[in-house]
Amino acid sequence: MELFIKQLPTVVGALNVGFIQTLKLFFITLIGAFPLGLIIAFGSMSRFRPLSYLTKLIVWIVRGTPLMIQLLIIYFFPGLVLHNPIWGGGETGRFLAASVSFILNYACYFSEIYRGGIQGVPIGQEEAGLVLGMTRKQIFFKVTLLQMIKRIVPPMSNEIITLVKDTSLARIIALQEIIWAGQAFMKGSHGISGAIWPLFFTAIYYLIFNGILTLLLGRLERKLDYFR
Amino acid sequence: MKKLFALMLSCAMVLSLAACGGKDSDSDMEYVKDKGVLTVGITDFEPMDYKDDNDEWIGFDADMAKAFAESLGVDVEFVEIDWDNKVMELDGKTIDCVWNGMTLTDEVTSSMECSNAYCNNAQVVIVPADKADEYQDKDSLKDLSFAAEAGSAGEAELEALDLKCTPVKDQATALMEVAAGTSDAAVIDSLMAAAMVGEGTGYEDLTYTIGLNSEEYGVGFRKDSDLAEALNKFFADSYKDGTMKECAEKYKVQAALIEQ
Repeated sequence: MELFIKQLPTVVGALNVGFIQTLKLFFITLIGAFPLGLIIAFGSMSRFRPLSYLTKLIVWIVRGTPLMIQLLIIYFFPGLVLHNPIWGGGETGRFLAASVSFILNYACYFSEIYRGGIQGVPIGQEEAGLVLGMTRKQIFFKVTLLQMIKRIVPPMSNEIITLVKDTSLARIIALQEIIWAGQAFMKGSHGISGAIWPLFFTAIYYLIFNGILTLLLGRLERKLDYFR
Repeated sequence: MKKLFALMLSCAMVLSLAACGGKDSDSDMEYVKDKGVLTVGITDFEPMDYKDDNDEWIGFDADMAKAFAESLGVDVEFVEIDWDNKVMELDGKTIDCVWNGMTLTDEVTSSMECSNAYCNNAQVVIVPADKADEYQDKDSLKDLSFAAEAGSAGEAELEALDLKCTPVKDQATALMEVAAGTSDAAVIDSLMAAAMVGEGTGYEDLTYTIGLNSEEYGVGFRKDSDLAEALNKFFADSYKDGTMKECAEKYKVQAALIEQ
């Protein structure tokens, strides 16, 4: 117990640094994947067949393979196969590669949620809009999109919470997020070696952050309840 | 369906075309000198590579790597890597060498261009401290279940002795197995054991007993790299003028140092 209290400040300091990396990856993934997912959703709903086949192929590949493998491929493929290590070995390169992998992966999952949300809006609403003389653009932004947002909040919340925990996969390309920081104490880091508890302690960070997210997303869901 | 097939084919073609691009320069040394920086792949591993209070990488390996880079006239950059991916990091050119108390196993020497050995090490048995007296020779080990890092020298040694062994992710996990009681004993290397078990560590109830074999540390470069040769020469020079010994003494590993 005495040892624990002595080690706590050092460990919390190191875990905070790791958690900032986790948060950075989390927010960048959301910022990138929200719009990209919508573009992919439009692609897969396109009436131009080759485009919709192509996007469906991409979605199939991305959703059908583990994110861990995608991280390894995106980070190592340029150097190993193309002999041009575009990411470089430094921390920034690893973070960029991880961001690209996460954005692509999550955009594909989001696209299917968007598609479900858009197609779930009854066709009668679109017809009503046409009768009222609205343009297709107006119908999409003023009728469909608003209702889609309301419908997709619960499944999106699910994915967002999963994303918080999935960021830990980035340690496979040595992105130093919080699990990495916690595990480092098992070998020795910051003058503490052979400490197991920091690794388990990281769970508290995830739990608190996901708790806050759950509250916020729940509030958003209630706010969007005006359609019923 | 036909269109889908055509699309898949064209994707495959684009990928295979892309694979033809790029060309390796002939000399790895020239590549590093052009780049102006030697990127060293490490893990946080006291006393070889670890951070001081100013967040600077220090340690016996880190200091030697800095000196070697200086002799090449390039800067040095330390990058923490996932140890499992070290060969991929090297071949993918995200790092230029692995310099982190790396045991020269068959796996390592066949996939990397290695320098001469510069440090001795041993694989030791870790058991709970209160049972240490019972396990002081190899015969006493035969009924124990072991944990050892997958692909490590320790695992190879256990296999050679025909002992029960669970391969785990890394040496630290092997220790956790013993602490949690899921394995009776673990095999890890002695430099690490000295730093990680006993008084003042998280594993106060564990201790190390007998050594199973001895092994040597080396530095790994890309296959066929001319940097390995350059490092051997650097090691020989700095051993002769005493700077290598001085550096080893600073980190208390002088007893393990190998003559160059």
